[in-house]
Amino acid sequence: MSRIRFLPLFLTTIFLTPVPPSAQNIDPKEIIDRVDRLLRGDSSQGRIEMTVVTKRWKRTVGMEIWSEGVDKALVRITSPKKEEGIATLKVGRDIWNYLSKIDRTIRVPSSMMGSSWMGSHFTNDDLVKESRLVTDYEIELSYAGLRDDVDVYEFRLVPHEDAAVVWGAMTYQVRKADLIPIWARYYDEDGELKRTMTFEDVRLMGGRKIPTLIKLVPADNPQEYTQMIYHDLKFDLELPKRIFSLSELRR
Amino acid sequence: MLFVLLGWRNLWRKPGRSAISIAAIASGLFFLILLLGISVGLKEQMLSNGTSLLQGHLQVHHRDYLPDRGLYDLIGGDQDALELEALIETLEAQPQFEAVAPRLYGFSLISTGEQSAGAQLLGIDPRLESRVTSFLEGMVAGKSLTPVAQGQVLLGATLAKELRASTGDEIAAVTQAADGSLGNELYQVAGILKTGLSHLDRVLAVIHYRDLQQLLVLRSWAVHELALRIERPELADSVADELNQSGLLPVDSLAQGWGELAPQLRDYVGLIDSFYGFLIGFISFFAALGVLNTMLMAVFERTQEFGMVGALGMTPLQILVTVLVETLVLVSLGIGLGLLISFLVMQPLSAHGIDLSRWTGGLTMLNTRIDPVIRFGWAGKHLVWSVIGMVAAALLASLIPARRIARMDPVVALRGVVEGSG
Repeated sequence: MSRIRFLPLFLTTIFLTPVPPSAQNIDPKEIIDRVDRLLRGDSSQGRIEMTVVTKRWKRTVGMEIWSEGVDKALVRITSPKKEEGIATLKVGRDIWNYLSKIDRTIRVPSSMMGSSWMGSHFTNDDLVKESRLVTDYEIELSYAGLRDDVDVYEFRLVPHEDAAVVWGAMTYQVRKADLIPIWARYYDEDGELKRTMTFEDVRLMGGRKIPTLIKLVPADNPQEYTQMIYHDLKFDLELPKRIFSLSELRR
Repeated sequence: MLFVLLGWRNLWRKPGRSAISIAAIASGLFFLILLLGISVGLKEQMLSNGTSLLQGHLQVHHRDYLPDRGLYDLIGGDQDALELEALIETLEAQPQFEAVAPRLYGFSLISTGEQSAGAQLLGIDPRLESRVTSFLEGMVAGKSLTPVAQGQVLLGATLAKELRASTGDEIAAVTQAADGSLGNELYQVAGILKTGLSHLDRVLAVIHYRDLQQLLVLRSWAVHELALRIERPELADSVADELNQSGLLPVDSLAQGWGELAPQLRDYVGLIDSFYGFLIGFISFFAALGVLNTMLMAVFERTQEFGMVGALGMTPLQILVTVLVETLVLVSLGIGLGLLISFLVMQPLSAHGIDLSRWTGGLTMLNTRIDPVIRFGWAGKHLVWSVIGMVAAALLASLIPARRIARMDPVVALRGVVEGSG
């Protein structure tokens, strides 16, 4: 069971204002909120290549994605041929999967929210549990300075008691220069590391400087991972409302 | 023979007292047989439901399959190909195995559209499966012949209700296949199953194992389990050991008997067996008390008589034997009568059973269905032990008066006074 805020990370991108905040007088909440909020544009559209590696198999899936705000997203598989057309629609807390081969749309029941999304290390919950880090977590700066010759901030996030998250804690490392995240680590209630997400290959895409490779490694199986490589991302487009509908899902 | 005749005659000198004794022994034995009968019936039913409903007497898996039931732990898993048909034929050719059925398991999301639920997919060969287990007989809707053809699914009753699916409907199954892809397929609901086990009815979806292999993107020999029916279920553990030694199974396979697969069932059977011993001891003890009383009185009354025969030259051993044989005759009459009554009463009880459904309906105990109709069973070797136990207890009890009178000086006995104990 993992409920991280995954969708904004891969469905949208990071928009960073060119002016970094003053290092002398930083507000952890503000920085995380900036990273968090700017991870999702108002809307986005693009292509992602997802590679999943497990002990048993490795596969790469091409996907086209659309998103709007926190609530709406559509993902459609474009390759391989066998799975072409399989799609996921997320609206609010609901997820539907469209299976092109049998031409059926299935709503994912709450009992299956903890299971894998499209065979990856992400879960359905990762898609749905959308909320802002600043509202769910208490955020504090735990370190500021050099790590591997890079000037960074490190933040520790502990959920509020009533927050609907499963993580016991998260830590974030963010580059001081441009506030681009380097990694995020997810811990369970016992303080044990469960998985690590790394942000690499920072490029200019869709007019923004973003990490274009995001890799998720489960802590109990470090040889396995799921990685997302972003292609052709565009931001803040006018997307027609019908995109996030069941009829569009089966198109 | 003389002693037996003597004993027989002596018994009827006080017919009332002897009759009461005989009746006590007879009714003790009768109740013992009845109690053993009901627990034997219960035990047999639990055993047969626990094994023949779904589990089988023996199962073969990949060594690592249990308890996690991993998708990739197939029988003969690391080999490139397993000759599944040949393996099944080889096993069925062994005299100790009556039938063999292959199975494949998988978890999936099944859905009628808006209604979706997680399900345990069980892939079977319907023809072979029905020779090993009986759960397919619990079909409440749908055809009973060839219960699941390819392209069809049988749903557990509770699951079907949850999905609001009925016979003829189409359902979609979605699962993560062995190669990581999203396996998905449509099946037609061919029937609704009521196995009698509530946890199964809630999750079970049965399809043809060939269909499940395709859904999971597994090769055509891939199975997780072989379920076997054997001639003598009580020997399952040793038959499993022999099979493991035999070299008939693919490498890394492990055969296990029902006792190992369902330890709670084995514990229960063990509990019943130890209960038998307690019951036999308990009732024999009370029967012995009755015999002791009767024989004490019988000997006491005839003290002078025993003194007389002693004086005439009967040895103490002969006197002892006289008393013991008299007891034996008494007990034999009681046991004979008890067996006769038991036979008359047990006949209908074992043939038709008693129907408890009026009070209980269906029962589930230790994940095993209990039929509300309980058929009494003859306790077999425990019955023999009951008879031996009662005779032994009675003889032991009558040793007390027998020894006392045998050791008594005939002169003292002739005076008719019983002094102290021998």
